[in-house]
Amino acid sequence: MTARLPERPGEVIDRSSSLPFRWNGGDYTGMAGDTIVSALAASGVRVLSRSFKYRRPRGVMTADFNDPNCLFQVGDEPNVRAAHRLLEPGMDTSSQTSWPSLRFDAKAATQALSPFLGPGFYYKTFMRPRFLWPVYQRVLRTFAAGGKPSPQPGHSSPDKRYAHPDVLVAGGGPAGMMAAISAAERGARVMLVDEQHETGGYLRWSDSDGRLALADLRTRLAAADVEVLTDSVVFGRYDHNWVGVMQRSHPQGERLIKARAGVLVVAPGLIERPLAFEGNDLPGVVLSGAARRLLNLYAVRPGTRAVVLSANAEGAAAAADLADAGVEIAAFVDARAGETVVRAKGRTGVRSVELTGGKTVEADLLVTATGWTAPTALLNMAGVVPTFDPESSRFVPGEMPDDVMATGGIVGDGSVADLLSHAAAVGQEAARRSGHKAVHKAAAIPAAAALAPPSKEPVELPTLEPEPHPPLFIGSTSGFIDFSEDVTTKDITAAADEGYRSLELAKRYTTATMGPTQGKLEVINAGVAHAIATGRAIAGMGTTTWRPPYAPVSLGALAGRMLEPVRHSPLQPYHERVGAQPIVAGQWIRPNHYGDPAAEVTAVRSSVGVIDVSPLGKIELRGRDVPKLLELVYTNKWSKLAVGSVRYGIMCAEDGVVMDDGVTARFAEDRYMMTTTSSGAAGVYDWLEEWLATAHPDWDVRLTAMTDAYASMNVAGPESRALLERLVEGIELDAESFPHMHVRTGTVAGVADCFLWRLGFTGELSFEVHVPAGYGLHVWEALLEQGADLGAVPFGLEAQRIMRLEKGHFIVGQDTDGLTRAHSTGLSTLINSDKPDFSGKQELEWSEADSGTMLVALQPEDPAVVPPEASQVLSGNTLVGRITSSRMSPTLGRSICLAQLTQDHAAPGTVVTVHLPDRTRVRARVMEHHAHFDPEGSRLRG
Amino acid sequence: MSNKGARGRLPARFSAFDLMRRRRSWPQAWRERDLKSTYDVVLIGGGLHGLATAYYLATNHGITDVAVIEKSYIGGGGSGRNTAIVRSNYLTPEGVRFYDRSVKLYEELAVDLNFNVMFEQRGHMTLAHNDSSLRTMRWRAEVNKLEGVDSSVITPSEIKQLAPYIDVSDHSRYPILGALWHPPGGIIRHDAVVWGYARAADAAGAHIHQNTEVTGIDVEQEKVTGVTTSRGKISAPIVVNCTAGWSSLVAALAGVKLPIVTRPLQAAVTEPVQSFLDPVIVSGSLHVYVSQTARGELVFGASVDPFGSYSTRGSLDFIEGLAGHVLELMPSLGRMRVLRQWAGLCDMTPDYAPIIGPTHVGGFYVDVGWGTYGFKAGPAAGESLAQMIATNSIPELIAPFGVERFAAGTLMGEKGAASVGH
Repeated sequence: MTARLPERPGEVIDRSSSLPFRWNGGDYTGMAGDTIVSALAASGVRVLSRSFKYRRPRGVMTADFNDPNCLFQVGDEPNVRAAHRLLEPGMDTSSQTSWPSLRFDAKAATQALSPFLGPGFYYKTFMRPRFLWPVYQRVLRTFAAGGKPSPQPGHSSPDKRYAHPDVLVAGGGPAGMMAAISAAERGARVMLVDEQHETGGYLRWSDSDGRLALADLRTRLAAADVEVLTDSVVFGRYDHNWVGVMQRSHPQGERLIKARAGVLVVAPGLIERPLAFEGNDLPGVVLSGAARRLLNLYAVRPGTRAVVLSANAEGAAAAADLADAGVEIAAFVDARAGETVVRAKGRTGVRSVELTGGKTVEADLLVTATGWTAPTALLNMAGVVPTFDPESSRFVPGEMPDDVMATGGIVGDGSVADLLSHAAAVGQEAARRSGHKAVHKAAAIPAAAALAPPSKEPVELPTLEPEPHPPLFIGSTSGFIDFSEDVTTKDITAAADEGYRSLELAKRYTTATMGPTQGKLEVINAGVAHAIATGRAIAGMGTTTWRPPYAPVSLGALAGRMLEPVRHSPLQPYHERVGAQPIVAGQWIRPNHYGDPAAEVTAVRSSVGVIDVSPLGKIELRGRDVPKLLELVYTNKWSKLAVGSVRYGIMCAEDGVVMDDGVTARFAEDRYMMTTTSSGAAGVYDWLEEWLATAHPDWDVRLTAMTDAYASMNVAGPESRALLERLVEGIELDAESFPHMHVRTGTVAGVADCFLWRLGFTGELSFEVHVPAGYGLHVWEALLEQGADLGAVPFGLEAQRIMRLEKGHFIVGQDTDGLTRAHSTGLSTLINSDKPDFSGKQELEWSEADSGTMLVALQPEDPAVVPPEASQVLSGNTLVGRITSSRMSPTLGRSICLAQLTQDHAAPGTVVTVHLPDRTRVRARVMEHHAHFDPEGSRLRG
Repeated sequence: MSNKGARGRLPARFSAFDLMRRRRSWPQAWRERDLKSTYDVVLIGGGLHGLATAYYLATNHGITDVAVIEKSYIGGGGSGRNTAIVRSNYLTPEGVRFYDRSVKLYEELAVDLNFNVMFEQRGHMTLAHNDSSLRTMRWRAEVNKLEGVDSSVITPSEIKQLAPYIDVSDHSRYPILGALWHPPGGIIRHDAVVWGYARAADAAGAHIHQNTEVTGIDVEQEKVTGVTTSRGKISAPIVVNCTAGWSSLVAALAGVKLPIVTRPLQAAVTEPVQSFLDPVIVSGSLHVYVSQTARGELVFGASVDPFGSYSTRGSLDFIEGLAGHVLELMPSLGRMRVLRQWAGLCDMTPDYAPIIGPTHVGGFYVDVGWGTYGFKAGPAAGESLAQMIATNSIPELIAPFGVERFAAGTLMGEKGAASVGH
């Protein structure tokens, strides 16, 4: 049965089109311009969904984005607002909460149980027998409302956009349009955001005068320099007018716009409020605005015989529109004369309506016009505290900050002319307050000369007062207050009676306002029902805490593109070519090994190997006062570091906990190069800058992050000097001219401006070569080529980790943790208490005697057992520490470990028990030195 | 260990039978009382900790002359703002023991309180995206096992089985290498926990005073004598600071300085969808945790904001980052929508462990500094605190958490595992 009417004057549908689509497996057609729901309504469909708890049949009620009964699954997209989403050909749509079918929902049996399913019934049962609780859980979870999320990735969103409007207007009804026009005419850059598909607000579905006014506004808006975003929503106002706008129908998908607005003008209009009475959720009970939208925008007749309950002019207008469309008006109930509706009756839709006095009227449509809710959410987010005005039965804005203004229905009522004159003044004032630079526009747009300048004095705003409105919230029978959550008047009353006497508690207990509409339809009725139940004055009712987002926004659009790039060394092409095994190390992906890490170790220990250490953090420090900074952040002595020397140091946070380690070289009197751990690079840079900016702004120190400027490679092994001698120019490499822990600059493989220092993590004679990044690959390949006859191989992170463990070098963050103070690392010699101060000094001095655990080298008695890292160490049944690093040593042919042990178990020779993850236990001995191999360091210094 | 003899009589039993019988007509879960001028114990803060303490004081120790003073409504602070995750897979043995006791109490709570707190033990999974966090997961698993707590390290394919929407492929930006799997963990209805304790505490005789703000703590000769409230003075020999978010300010009323900074912790919830995610998913590297409520909503949280503040407003920056990280874990959820965001306040201590015990002011105890863990800790904290008050000695379970540790330098080691330790 079609409910499509002959052509209506303001309709937005294209009658020449025919869009096929599917709904719940059936074939339907609609027209371009239809929403999914208007197309279904035009096809005569009345029941669109089942409710959350009682599975009651539901139909169209508000016919806009907020309609709680019109959340559909569309393809793989859940929870689509089908009374807002425009129909597209071929759409596959379905209702969400019904099983096995919308017509027969098995769970509707809960309706029969409804007397027992009051608020929080689940808190009162399902406790015993306990073994059934998991079963109850599963059953309760099947009631979850909402559609099915897609398991398939693939949906992407366009890049986010930044905008800087002088004036951002939220709401594109007549007031919003006028405010935008007027601000733009004063030279402000204006963005106008409207949730509907076209500007015009309620004028779109109003009468011919309204349509005329709208046509005029649209002409002026088009002529003004205003960016208009329809089907978009201002979803959040954050500190300093940082405003989130979601552009829903951007061609590439939902797009997030982040706007820094000079002034935010809030003009969302009003949201029509349902009345709570028995049967108020039946299909066929619609709000007056919904009836007019269906009639006048989509030419859909919402019923054939109507009862209209009206407390305002909108109700009368809806009745007139219905009559005009051929709907029989069975009764016009004038709420201002004290008449009202007692209940609506019917099973799957309204069949009759009982009025005050007991009279029952047969009807398939009940239209209610019982007042409005002011959507003050954006104002609340700006710190405004709206107050409830009992005269007009709605919230009105309170004191506002300078950079937020409001106009339109949210402020007050009046004729279109009244609204427009208020809005025009607000627009002018917003332009003035935004303090925009009209001069920019004058340069860009010749027509700007015609613009009036912003006024210098504050613009006086005409008064716009809300009109009195009868207090119609809840009827004499219990009806639904929250349609998404199936919460009734009785539920709110029951909650208050049970002691939930704060409105916040009652809302949480009943879940009223917790659903997809977030209070837009239900907050006032819930507050009133609660005030009555607790015997409090309605006037004192507070509003809910509106939190962002005002309307739901998709994760995809919020996320945008993931801007967290992977970092690769300049030598990556080589690693890829030879098929190195990668490992993720913080932001970096680097070679873990090139096939056989143990063989790489043997090659380094016997001849020479090269490792890519480009991710090593590098910070250049220049200035007179660099030594002061070094003294402050490192625990050891730095002031006497000679030009050409390199020194190792550890850095502690102010609590004495080790935060990073590395070396720093002095290139010249006032020029240093610091290295940090790969993962600590950014943190150390921040740390240095923080000291300089906050504690010592007078120091002459400049920092430059150099990590990416150099490709770094460590040439390690007994043949490393021989290899470098073939490639290096301008540096004497013999031990006397270039001793351990010194730095030299020169040319390597023809590349000038390289620097080399003698040190390494492997314990072998080694040179770390730092090459301007662009030439890194060339030098790397030259090293391997020239070293071929020496047996030179590339080695990866794993081989280095084995060798550093053989040498007992610790890794910050692996062998230390959030409590490891410097003493615990066994490097007390690097803590110089003679210095007047350094970060962590107080804490370290004070805790010297008892620094908790100690880092020690440990060897299992069974050389074949490698206790996995994180294995716990026991003494008896007491936990005394853990294995922090462990490997099989190819050099020693046995397992080796570093461990943190409590001090009473850290003495060399102590035997402890290691508890392996598989619950077996092995014995292990604490070693004398951290180094398992070459503790004297003779190889290193050769 | 509990002495249930002193349990108060509930005004009405909750059961399926009573639900049929009473339908919607139930007596008040807790009553509005006149403020007395003296109480044996005053608990400041009507959140989970204060109410649980009142309950255990009455039921385990027969101490019922107790007032819980709440400046707003019960459970309106951290108790109603957290993401309702319960677990005991901590890093230090002390932490594991403490939170294990809490999990055990939570498991019994519905029956104990005769209030279904809807504890859904669907498991708790902490993802590791690099070998260093995988090492920490192993560390936690080993400590947990030694303390008798069910935790183990699982592989990507096991992760996929438990949570099919997670991308465990190796081509994501932060590939998943494994996870710490903790089957006893899960989510709970946090409001129900608050209400259940309040109802049982009220039944046992404690007075719950909502909309009553403590404006002063009266101290004479280094001993507490009572509190001043917005509704009048109360004298009491024992006063306990069970607040969060403002705990350092409340302690300062008694002249007690605490090493606490307060930072916002933000969270968000999506629209409901049908059930597709059972376990709680946590990723430290991506600073996010996700669970799906019984109602079908996804609840997200992150790490605390990197600055101190008493603001409970959310930020745009936060939900952008959060959405990005959720999609990194579950890339097919791009069309799910965020419904609401909010923030709670976390009182952070230098070592991310709480401060619980006596202070230098006689009779003035603190139960504060719970950082992001307060909700998980509630039952065990309440039980221990009640025992401490009743016996005037410090129970072993909370002995490591005294305020004196900051002077002695014996800090707790949860910080390393705590950055996003939900």
